[in-house]
Amino acid sequence: MLFGLAWRNLWRQKSRTILSMTSMGFASCLLVFVLSLQLGSYETMKTNTLRIFDGFAQLQPPGYADDPDISNYIHDPVAAIAEVRGVNGISAASPRSSTFVVLANGEISYGAAVFGVDPVAESAVSSLATSVGAGRYLSAGDTDTMVLGSALARNLGVEIGDRVTLLGSAADRSVAADSLQVVGLFDTGIPQVDRQVAQMPIDRFRDTFMMEGGANVIVLGGESLSRVNRALPEVREIGARHGLVTLGWAELQPALKQAITLDATTSSAIYVSLVFVVVFIILNTLYMSVLERTREFGVLLAIGMKPGAIGRMMWIELILLAAVGSFFGIALGATAVLWFQKHGIPVAGMEDIMAQFGLPSRIYPRLSLFSALAGPAAILISVTLGGVIPFLRIRRLEPVSAMGAA
Amino acid sequence: MCPDTKEATTPGADAPENDSIVVCRNLEKHYRQGAIQVPALRGVDLEIHRGDFATLAGPSGSGKTTLLNMIGGLDYPSAGEIIVDGQDLRALTKSDLAEMRLRKIGFVFQAYNLIPVLTAAENIEFILRLQGVGSRERHERARAALADVGLEGLEDRRPSHLSGGQQQRVAVARALINRPAIVLADEPTANLDTQTAGGLIDLMADLNARHGTTFLMGTHDARVIARSRRHIELTDGRISGDELRNT
Repeated sequence: MLFGLAWRNLWRQKSRTILSMTSMGFASCLLVFVLSLQLGSYETMKTNTLRIFDGFAQLQPPGYADDPDISNYIHDPVAAIAEVRGVNGISAASPRSSTFVVLANGEISYGAAVFGVDPVAESAVSSLATSVGAGRYLSAGDTDTMVLGSALARNLGVEIGDRVTLLGSAADRSVAADSLQVVGLFDTGIPQVDRQVAQMPIDRFRDTFMMEGGANVIVLGGESLSRVNRALPEVREIGARHGLVTLGWAELQPALKQAITLDATTSSAIYVSLVFVVVFIILNTLYMSVLERTREFGVLLAIGMKPGAIGRMMWIELILLAAVGSFFGIALGATAVLWFQKHGIPVAGMEDIMAQFGLPSRIYPRLSLFSALAGPAAILISVTLGGVIPFLRIRRLEPVSAMGAA
Repeated sequence: MCPDTKEATTPGADAPENDSIVVCRNLEKHYRQGAIQVPALRGVDLEIHRGDFATLAGPSGSGKTTLLNMIGGLDYPSAGEIIVDGQDLRALTKSDLAEMRLRKIGFVFQAYNLIPVLTAAENIEFILRLQGVGSRERHERARAALADVGLEGLEDRRPSHLSGGQQQRVAVARALINRPAIVLADEPTANLDTQTAGGLIDLMADLNARHGTTFLMGTHDARVIARSRRHIELTDGRISGDELRNT
C-alpha cells in the first residue's frame, strides 16, 4: 500500500520529480563514467607497467625483494615453474636472473641491469619483446646474444651486430665477464628501462654468473592482472612449499601502488563532495515536499494512519526517487563507458606524460560492477540515511497542528 | 452530565450509561499564546448517545472545533476525561489514538480532505487497507459505500475530477466505511452551495436513520441545525444549551 501511494505521490509534481530524477541520474551517470575511467586507467597503468617487465606476480627467494643479490637465487626453479603453471589463471611462468654489471664498448662503459631470460617463456610474461624497434628479440637458439634499451645502446655507441663486454660479480662472488653480440634494441618508452636494462639468454647468464641452473625469480603471467590476483592464494601455497615468497603487483611496483592510492584518495574527496551536493539537493526537494504536504499528513493522521506509516511512505518516495534516477544514471553511464571502452578516449598532446605512467595515448574506461554501482549506491545510501530527518519530522506531527498548516 | 442544558428534555439525563458513545467530563483545553494561556474549553460535560444526529453550534471561537478534535482523539485535553466507545482517551498513546480513530471514528472535514492521488473508490478503500481488510472485500465495500452516497459510476474518478458536493459525499462514504462508533463532521456544508448542502444533509440524515450511525456535526448552517435531532450550543468554551428536537 505504502509503495503504491508513494509512487503516485511522486508524480503529483511531475516536473519537480523529473528534475530531481535528472539531477540524480546525471550525478550517477557522471560517477559511473568517471569511476570507470579512473579504475580503467589504473588497470591500464598496472597492466602496462607490469607487462613491460615485472610480470603480474613473482616467486622469489625470501629476502630477495629487499636485497636483490644475485647470490640469493632459486636453485631448482623447474619444479616450482611446472607446479605453478598448473594453477588456474596462471598461463605463463618464466625464470629470470639479474644483476648489475658494467657494459663496455671500447672506451665507453655504463652501469646496467642485465637480465637472463628464457626467450620463449619471457614473451608470455613480458611485453618487452614487442618493444624491440631495431633488430630482433632473443630467440630460443641464441647463445651469446643480447638486447639493449635504445638509450643504453646510444650511450654505449653500439648498433645491431656490435659486441659489448660485460663485467660483473657472479653468484659465487667471483668476477664474471662475457662478450655478447647486440641483436636488438628495445624502446619501451620508460626512460629508466630504456637507459639501464639489457637482456641475455638465461642459459648463458647462468654460465657467466655461475648460477648452475638457478634463477633469481620466477615471473608469472596470465590473461589479465585480475585473474592472476585471484590465483595468488594458490600460488602462495605452492611458493611456500618450495620455500619461496610470492609478490603481487603492489609489492612489485610499490611506487605505482602509492601513486594510485594517492590519486584515488584525492578523487574520492571530489566524489564525496559531488554525492553530498546531490544528496542535499534531493533532501531539500523532499523537505519542501514534506512542508507543502504537512496539512495532508494531518488529514492522514486524522483518518487513522499512524505517524510511522506516513514517515515510511515519505521515505519510500525518497528511495524511489533516488532509485529511479540512479537506474537511468547507471544505464546511461554504463552505455557511455561501454562505447568508450571499445573506442578509447584520445588524450592529445599528453603522449609523453602518459607513457611515463605506462599509459597509451588513448585511455580506456573499464566497466565493472564496482564502477557501475559504487557511486550510485553511495548516493542512494546517503539519500536513504538523510531521509531520517523528514521521517522524524513526520513522526512528531500532531494531527491538529498539521491540519492547521497552510 | 450537561449542567448548562436549558431544555427540560435534558439529553443524557435518563439515558443508560452504556448507551453513551462519547462521555466528556469536566473537559478543559488551554492554548498557550506566548506567556498567556487562552482557554478554549472550560469544563465541558457532555454525553453523546448511540444513534444521535446532533449538531454542535456556537459563535466562532466558542470551542466547537476544539471539542470535536478532543472527542476525535486529534488533540489532548488540558484537564478532564473523554471516553469514546468505552475507551478512556487519556490512557492512549499517539499510535493507539491513531488506531482508535481508524476503527471507531469517522471524520468529515469542511475541505473534504480526500487524498488527491487516489480515485474516489481508492480513497474509501484506503481506510480498509489501513485496517488490513482483504482486496476483494475492500473493493466490494468501497463500491457499495459509493453507491450508498449516490456516486455509483464515479468510482474511478480522482478528487480533482469531482465537484465539491461529490467530494464531500466521498468523504462521508470514507467516514462511514469503517462502521465507526461516531462520525464527527466539522462544518461539512461550509464549502457547498445551497442545493448541494441540502443534498448532503439529506444523505447524512438518511444514513443516520438507516444505519443508526451516530453523527456529531459542528456547524453554523441553520439548515443542518434544523435537521438535527439534538442541538448543543457552545459559548465561550462552555455548553450553554443542549436540546432534543423533533424533526
